[in-house]
Amino acid sequence: MADIEQMAASVASLKEHFENHRYICSDQIATAVYLAYHLRKPILIEGPPGVGKTELAKTTSEMFELPLIRLQCYEGLDEAKAIYEWKYGKQLLYTQVLKEALDEVLAGAKGFAQSVNRLHEFGDIFFSEEFLEPRPLLKALKEEDGCVLLIDEVDKSDHEFESLLLEILSDFQVSIPEIGTVKANREPPMVFLTSNNTREISDALKRRCLHLYIPFPDVELEQRIIHARVPEVPEELRRQLVAFIHELRDLDLKKVPAISETIDWARTLLLLHTESLDADLVRDTLNVILKFQEDIENVDSELNALAAKIK
Amino acid sequence: MDRTLTNFIRSLRMADVRISTAETLDAMNTVELVGYKNREFLRDSLAMVLPKTADEKETFYNCFDEFFAFEDVSGERGEEAHAEGEEHGDEQTGEGGEGGGSGGERQPGEPAGGKRKKSKKKKPNNNLFEEEEEEDLGPGAMTEATSELGELLMGDSKVELTMRMAAAGEAINVREIQIFTQKGLYARRIMDEMGLADLNREISDLRESPAVPARRLGQELKRRRDWLREQVRDYVERQFLLNADVTGKKLREELLRKVKLSNVEHRNFRLIQEIVYKMAKKLTTMHSRRKKVYKRGLLNVPRTLRHNMSYDGAIFDLHWKSVKIDRPKVFAICDVSGSVANYARFMLMFLYSLDEVMPKVRSFAFSSDLAEVTDLFNRNKIEDAIAKVLRDYSGGSTDYGQAFVDFRKLCMDDVDNRTTIIILGDARNNYGDPHAEILKEMYDRSKRVIWLNPEARLSWNTGDSEMRRYGAYSHQVEECNSLMHLERVVGNLLRQVT
Repeated sequence: MADIEQMAASVASLKEHFENHRYICSDQIATAVYLAYHLRKPILIEGPPGVGKTELAKTTSEMFELPLIRLQCYEGLDEAKAIYEWKYGKQLLYTQVLKEALDEVLAGAKGFAQSVNRLHEFGDIFFSEEFLEPRPLLKALKEEDGCVLLIDEVDKSDHEFESLLLEILSDFQVSIPEIGTVKANREPPMVFLTSNNTREISDALKRRCLHLYIPFPDVELEQRIIHARVPEVPEELRRQLVAFIHELRDLDLKKVPAISETIDWARTLLLLHTESLDADLVRDTLNVILKFQEDIENVDSELNALAAKIK
Repeated sequence: MDRTLTNFIRSLRMADVRISTAETLDAMNTVELVGYKNREFLRDSLAMVLPKTADEKETFYNCFDEFFAFEDVSGERGEEAHAEGEEHGDEQTGEGGEGGGSGGERQPGEPAGGKRKKSKKKKPNNNLFEEEEEEDLGPGAMTEATSELGELLMGDSKVELTMRMAAAGEAINVREIQIFTQKGLYARRIMDEMGLADLNREISDLRESPAVPARRLGQELKRRRDWLREQVRDYVERQFLLNADVTGKKLREELLRKVKLSNVEHRNFRLIQEIVYKMAKKLTTMHSRRKKVYKRGLLNVPRTLRHNMSYDGAIFDLHWKSVKIDRPKVFAICDVSGSVANYARFMLMFLYSLDEVMPKVRSFAFSSDLAEVTDLFNRNKIEDAIAKVLRDYSGGSTDYGQAFVDFRKLCMDDVDNRTTIIILGDARNNYGDPHAEILKEMYDRSKRVIWLNPEARLSWNTGDSEMRRYGAYSHQVEECNSLMHLERVVGNLLRQVT
């Protein structure tokens, strides 16, 4: 069991541990995790796609050695898929089986009222935890030693679902009408929510979370990230490719390359045994970093100028 | 400690960052955890707790830099930091955070003090300007100052003076300053509160005194009084920037919303533009939600069967048929002719903002011939777009009939029962053929036709106005000549489409 307390003692120590897990982060990111741990608050992470929002949650779970429970949001996600569902099949089966036993239970009962009373004595066993199928959110609450709960791309879900999250985010509990309120065990989960900003998240949700915005990293940080993720890339090439990516981000593109694309590209170049970047090579591998034909065409015409710049 | 934080949050709220009470509590917990020691750390931490959008973050950083660079309003913290800085300065230089944090607060005081000393040394030798009428008394002994403020001034105690200034500021509620013209007034009040009257009397007494040392003191006091006045002015300026700039702006915005659009002065255009944009944005976030209406009683059979497969086909979980309600498809037609020239600008501005925040708006402009300007809006910045529309389409005499004919030719086929048509114009047709039958066709085909008329209701139907005829074929006719009207109308429009 990892000593979480010790790891989260200071921002610097968190940062160091993240780096040991090959996640290079800025002070802001480490501060966010530090605060989230000490204040027991969820973090809402926003930023352009591919800057490591989901990765942060994954690395945190790895670092703290806690299980990661992930809930991928999509349009139409509802409580039956996010919190809990009754095991209808099992309930059906049991009612069939118990049908025969019903006579014994009711044997000797006089009148309707008495029969109903007898039945009441059975209690609501069909709506007990036995028949409950926990979904990610409930599972996260029931985790004994805490866990990392990742609610991915919350902006893709419906408004109704957002409201559903409020209870679990502020009090770490969910209410199930048939059973009552389920509270988190000793250690409440660490919650990460990510959003790509396809729509505004409601104020109520934001109010309950710490808000972390992860922008694209600066040149120095990105070089370190590449170094940590693809250590085999020689230093000179690393410098060039990061500089090139940063030039691209300044252009007017439909989708600018993110860190994940930089990493993919570094791996590609490594595979091609590249020593240093030149215009032809970039042209051939451009489809790794740019995902729209329109963008590729645009960049293609300016390749020589760009390549000269990073030399 | 907490006072500092609440003051900070207050200034954030002034700067339009929305912070709830719950977040204030969070901020307090954060500060407890983080402490005031490390400025960067504190800033990063609070940046996660208080602002919740990228825009707000930017405002937050500005506010933070501004707020924590100055001495605290009460002055107490300034002194504390001073003392702390001196005590710990040597031991903790390695850590850097401590020095940075408290140093930041001391800074504004110190350079000023330094400058003062310099000027004090220089002046006796080199007073060419400003003191021409003053006699050169040369350096030498001075008598003691007698008035309270004079003693303070001569006492060289920066901290005491600052505290005094802050206390005076509190006493006259300097934080309630609202508009920039009040700055002089508040500076004056602070000076009065600090005992300016006594000081002035003393100075004039001293200057008429026959003894040289007394006159010398008089000069010195006068010089220091002027310096103090500068300081007070700076202090008020800072208070204004922190507390009032935005309130003043809000006040102006509030006024502008109510004023008739034709009366807005040119210099306020920028502000109007901001308001219009904010308004359009607010309206769309409020209504951007796609709603579903379930028709209870109409079973969605395929969906129900699919969902109940897992229960051995026993129908447990029922799914009803539903209708998705889409956001309205809006066709906006704007009259830009001479008669509504004063309004056209704002209407276009609003049209442009609406276009930015709503996906399906098609805009048209006309004075006699009608043309679609949607593309033009998409390609240009707001100022350029409006200028271009006005250049290309305005100026001619109004001809609604022709405009409707053009509209029918151009896009009558695209009008369907989900379309809302907004017409902005005064319906003054120069006695031409109104072609109301085309409007009737639009009325029949579309979901709604809304006519917004910038003229007051009283002047409708007078002269060449065709409002009566057009009004008959509109679902809704509204007077619309201030931003408030506009907001109400569009708000209703978005609501009623459900």
